[in-house]
Amino acid sequence: MRMIDALTRSMRASHLLVALLVAASLVFAAIGAAMGETFYLRLATEALIFAGLALSVDILLGYNGLLSLGQALYFGLGAYLSALVLMWVPSFWAAFAVTAVVSAVVGLIGGFIANRVRGVYFALITFGMAQVAAKVVYNTRALGASDGLIGVPVIDINLGIISFSSASPAGFFLFVLGVIVILYGVTAYLLDTPFGRLLIALRANERRVPFLGYRTMTLRLSAYVIAAMIAALSGALYPMLRGFVSPELLFFSTSGNAVITVIVGGVGTLAGALYGSVLLTLLKSVVGSYTEHHVIVIGLLFMGAVIFLPRGLMGIVRPAVERMLTRRSKP
Amino acid sequence: MTYKTMMMAALLSATALGGAQAADPIKIGVVTPLSGTYAGIGQQVKWGLDLATKEVNAAGGIMSRQIELIYEDEEANPSVAVQKADKLFQSNKVDFLTGTVNSASTLAVGQVAERAGKLIATTVSFADPITGDKCSPNVFRVNAKAGQQSAALAAWLAKDKPKAKIFFLGPDYLMGRSTVAAFKEAAEKTGATSLGEVFAPLDSKDYSQYFGQIRAAQPQVLYTSVAGNDTVRLLTQMQEFGLLRNLLVLGASGTVTAQNIAAIGKAANGFATGVGYSAELNTPENKKFVEAFKAAYKTEPDLYGADSYGLIYAYKAAVEKAKTTDTDKVRDALRGLTWSTPQGQKTIRAGDHQAIQTMYVAQVTDGKFKIASEVKGEDAIGPDTCTRF
Repeated sequence: MRMIDALTRSMRASHLLVALLVAASLVFAAIGAAMGETFYLRLATEALIFAGLALSVDILLGYNGLLSLGQALYFGLGAYLSALVLMWVPSFWAAFAVTAVVSAVVGLIGGFIANRVRGVYFALITFGMAQVAAKVVYNTRALGASDGLIGVPVIDINLGIISFSSASPAGFFLFVLGVIVILYGVTAYLLDTPFGRLLIALRANERRVPFLGYRTMTLRLSAYVIAAMIAALSGALYPMLRGFVSPELLFFSTSGNAVITVIVGGVGTLAGALYGSVLLTLLKSVVGSYTEHHVIVIGLLFMGAVIFLPRGLMGIVRPAVERMLTRRSKP
Repeated sequence: MTYKTMMMAALLSATALGGAQAADPIKIGVVTPLSGTYAGIGQQVKWGLDLATKEVNAAGGIMSRQIELIYEDEEANPSVAVQKADKLFQSNKVDFLTGTVNSASTLAVGQVAERAGKLIATTVSFADPITGDKCSPNVFRVNAKAGQQSAALAAWLAKDKPKAKIFFLGPDYLMGRSTVAAFKEAAEKTGATSLGEVFAPLDSKDYSQYFGQIRAAQPQVLYTSVAGNDTVRLLTQMQEFGLLRNLLVLGASGTVTAQNIAAIGKAANGFATGVGYSAELNTPENKKFVEAFKAAYKTEPDLYGADSYGLIYAYKAAVEKAKTTDTDKVRDALRGLTWSTPQGQKTIRAGDHQAIQTMYVAQVTDGKFKIASEVKGEDAIGPDTCTRF
């Protein structure tokens, strides 16, 4: 039997937590569909889409130790690409393929720029790049400028066996759930390989890694491109849900929310990004309906999380799950 | 619903006059910015709607049903606005929706309404495409659009200074450029000539670099669409350089406002703009409205408050005409509807869902806006460019 080290064990705990979330989502979708609920299903779909963005922040922050304050750049890129492709050919696969290819290229370019520096400077450069992109989109008439693009058509998503409309609340929710779980699975798999271990080594001590014979730039760049693609592919789902895109998707509020999501959910846990997004999206919607001072509530919550739960929600839950798993694997 | 309440409901609807659910309130959703940059506008929208609702409810409601307003904060962010609109339509089951401020939110929420089969109206957004090339059968606009403002100003200019020579100075971003383009087109149609145009970056600290160009062109009129603190700097610097002598300065409706007029001081005198409403309007309806508004909220209404106030009466008239809150029937009733507001009679044009109203030219005298002239609604409205319905 293969030796199980700490990383694999914590990954398994994350898998279990995500499986739990999926099970809860399936129950929720069944109840929602039975009751003909539309709003909460769409809200949950939006939460999952933003969970994808948070996942990409967690790859950089949790495994590479790099705080990106501009991940909305790639989320917005994906959203705009997907909207433009869908308005031209209403095909999910075309939109997803274009987004994957373009975001890889843009991520590579952005990665070359941002990864020249570390720490605070990395945060500032990613922030700056996203702001520049947001301003350009905000002033480009062909992209709808400050008004954004409306009229993204409702599409039929053909999965070979079944086909359903992006306007069907339960169907599209399940579909987005599937996409986000796949994105999570790919991320978790990659981070559990030697590549993932090297990223963690980089976070721990970047100067030592070259002495072990690895090029740090290649490693950091790969992690950055993967994160960019995951953010963009999540963003590509947004116009399918809401039928429009606007420059606000690239604004700092989007990037900042993703960082808050990861910190509340638990940095470096991956599952925390998903739980954090569901929690924050729901909370914002509910609190926002009660008071216009909802930003204060969210801010206090964030401060409370940082002070009392420095490792986030999953930072508390996951070690318990890990202990449970170890106990069971012992003879 | 239990069997008993269903029986009750059936009995009630059988006895009520005309209405199906006479006891239920009519729900109107309001998605408006209550926090953030546009919170000030959202506040006026809220006050206007609240005041009209209070009056209508006190007078017996719409078809003896009370109006209930349900507010949601959209943070001037279309992604949030769409989510909140979805909630109001799907969870709160509102009959009608209003309140959106920035045009991106109005357009995006309009699309949500179209997919949900409901109607919305904006009382604030003035971007022309909302009732132009991006019009929607489910979207109405009861306030004046940018085109009406510039057409009114151009019509007044043609009378006041025929064949004027105009120079344009705008802020260098989309809205700034499009307002300049719109006024240029409107003014050239009424016989004015353009001498040149220049665009300064937003938040410019020093406008004197453009003064040589302006002086050399020798304009009689300067049109500008800068706003906020930019206007303060532009106009005070022009005054210091003596450029305001024998020059008429015109601007967009946001150029000189209650917020910056004091800071501009004397340099604001003579400035004129086209507006759909001013608290200075000297009509009995407006005086009554301003008084009630001041009594309730200790401040004067602005155009957002007045337009929002008027909307409730438009919806009331339409529902009473349609005798139902059904989307298709209310839409038919709103098309071509004429109703009275503090600004005078407004009529919704059936072809593009844009309200036609008397426009005013407001000019600054001694640090205060005075109504200089009015322009008939038909002269300011412009052609119907909506092709979708």
